[in-house]
Amino acid sequence: MGDLGRLHQLIVPFFGHNMTFNIEPIIMTWIVMTILILFGFLASRKKSLLPGPLQVVGELFVAQLYGLADDALDKELSKKYAPLICALFMFLVLSNWLGIIPHLEEPTKDLNTPLSLGLMGFVIAHVAGIRVKGLKKYISAYFEPMFFMMPLNLIGELAKVVSIAFRLFGNIMGGSIIILVVSYLTYSVILPPFLNAFFGLFVGTIQAFVFTMLTVVYISVQVK
Amino acid sequence: MDFDIETWVKVAAFAGGGIAMGFGAIGAAIGEGFTAAEANEAISRNPGESGDIFKTMLVGQAIAESASIFALVIAMILLFTDFNANSVVTVSVLFAAGLSMGLGAIGSGVGSGFPAGAACKGMSRQPKISGRLTTNMLIGSAVCQTPAIFALVTSFILLFTNFTGRPVSPTWAAILGAGLASGLGAIGSGLGGGLVAGASCDGISRQPLAATPVTNVMLLGQAVTQTTAIYGLLVSFILMFKTFPATDLLAPPMALLAAGLCMGIGAIGPGVGEGFTARSAVEGIAKNEAATADLTRVMLVGQAVAESTGIYALVVALVLIFVV
Repeated sequence: MGDLGRLHQLIVPFFGHNMTFNIEPIIMTWIVMTILILFGFLASRKKSLLPGPLQVVGELFVAQLYGLADDALDKELSKKYAPLICALFMFLVLSNWLGIIPHLEEPTKDLNTPLSLGLMGFVIAHVAGIRVKGLKKYISAYFEPMFFMMPLNLIGELAKVVSIAFRLFGNIMGGSIIILVVSYLTYSVILPPFLNAFFGLFVGTIQAFVFTMLTVVYISVQVK
Repeated sequence: MDFDIETWVKVAAFAGGGIAMGFGAIGAAIGEGFTAAEANEAISRNPGESGDIFKTMLVGQAIAESASIFALVIAMILLFTDFNANSVVTVSVLFAAGLSMGLGAIGSGVGSGFPAGAACKGMSRQPKISGRLTTNMLIGSAVCQTPAIFALVTSFILLFTNFTGRPVSPTWAAILGAGLASGLGAIGSGLGGGLVAGASCDGISRQPLAATPVTNVMLLGQAVTQTTAIYGLLVSFILMFKTFPATDLLAPPMALLAAGLCMGIGAIGPGVGEGFTARSAVEGIAKNEAATADLTRVMLVGQAVAESTGIYALVVALVLIFVV
């Protein structure tokens, strides 16, 4: 129980400021990235009409997520943003599943990962909104329905980043805490594999999908 | 009998454990009872499917109970761990951990009873799609548990964070406020998310061809419904991790306690209200799949408006923490 909430940090002085690096999430993120790049390379190395097993999995991901983007965005935008959506989902799913392997942990358990992904989605959505609608129409959307609603609309937009990030973080963090505590209370007998399957695989997949879908919706709300 | 600080720490641990399990038992019991009632009705309609319906009822009830089991874990930790820190802050921490988990389990418990009940009923109507219905029920109930998981996270952070060195005077109130914010804040979202998931199970049983858009919009609606619970979690994180300057006055601690109360209570209404919005949208998509895009857009705008009171509560809570 002692290692609950303990974190290895690397603190680097940088022009009078201290830069803090959380080592474990960074290493785990790199592991996820390596697996994804390897997967992409192997799945697309021998493309054929009769696909191999890896190509099938890759095509499944791409087809489903391109379909998701098509439903929410119109044709031109969907073609532009579907690769991003696909990459986001695959990264999140693999991140959330990583915790079921002993000695590895989910990079999404650290608030910095979901928060930066949420910020990325926020910036992309707003840039897409400005590009499609033009700056004037984009700004005037904040003054609806009345001009004095501007601060609240602004807070509402910023709260979207907070809510999308904390939803993922809270679920993954909560799941890993429950697994840790229940394993400790039951001396790791019988229960932990089932908990890992439920919180790691099932909830992890759902939350990755929810995060991805909300990012798509935030983009589609901005461009309409 | 003298009341020294060790006694108070014990008192708080016992009271916190009692509150956690007592309140935590409310929601799941109501949800499970609702599921069983719907299962009975379903079997009376289609007795031939009683085996499948019975199995689904048990699985649904098991998931609805998980919020209560979280509360049981917290209660056990509070009752059987030796807390030997002797400060008023510890008293407040133990009490707040119990409050957060106990209140937080209510909404999710009631809420996840709805999809389980609707799935049982749907199976009596459309026995052929019982697999799809069970999957949808599991997904909906799992997302329903999110607010309870937020309350659990708050409780654990409270129990395992080292608060020594913080000034006693405003910290005790900040911690109580943190417990109340995520505990009360989880009630509405849990209930609302359950309404959405129930409607989606119902919709799939009525129109199995629309299963994919119904499940997708259900997830979206539930996610937006949880927003106010997330504001509650945010406020409790600020209250737990910000170090407040020591004070002898009563007003600053009360402001922090009020911030937690404000966010917690303010989150209940939007959670339930947004649940209603998403429920109708999901029902509509099951009836008329062609209108999915329009229904989703109106749902999102409606939820954003229903959420504005939750944003007012967030603004007032932040003002109470940082300005007053």
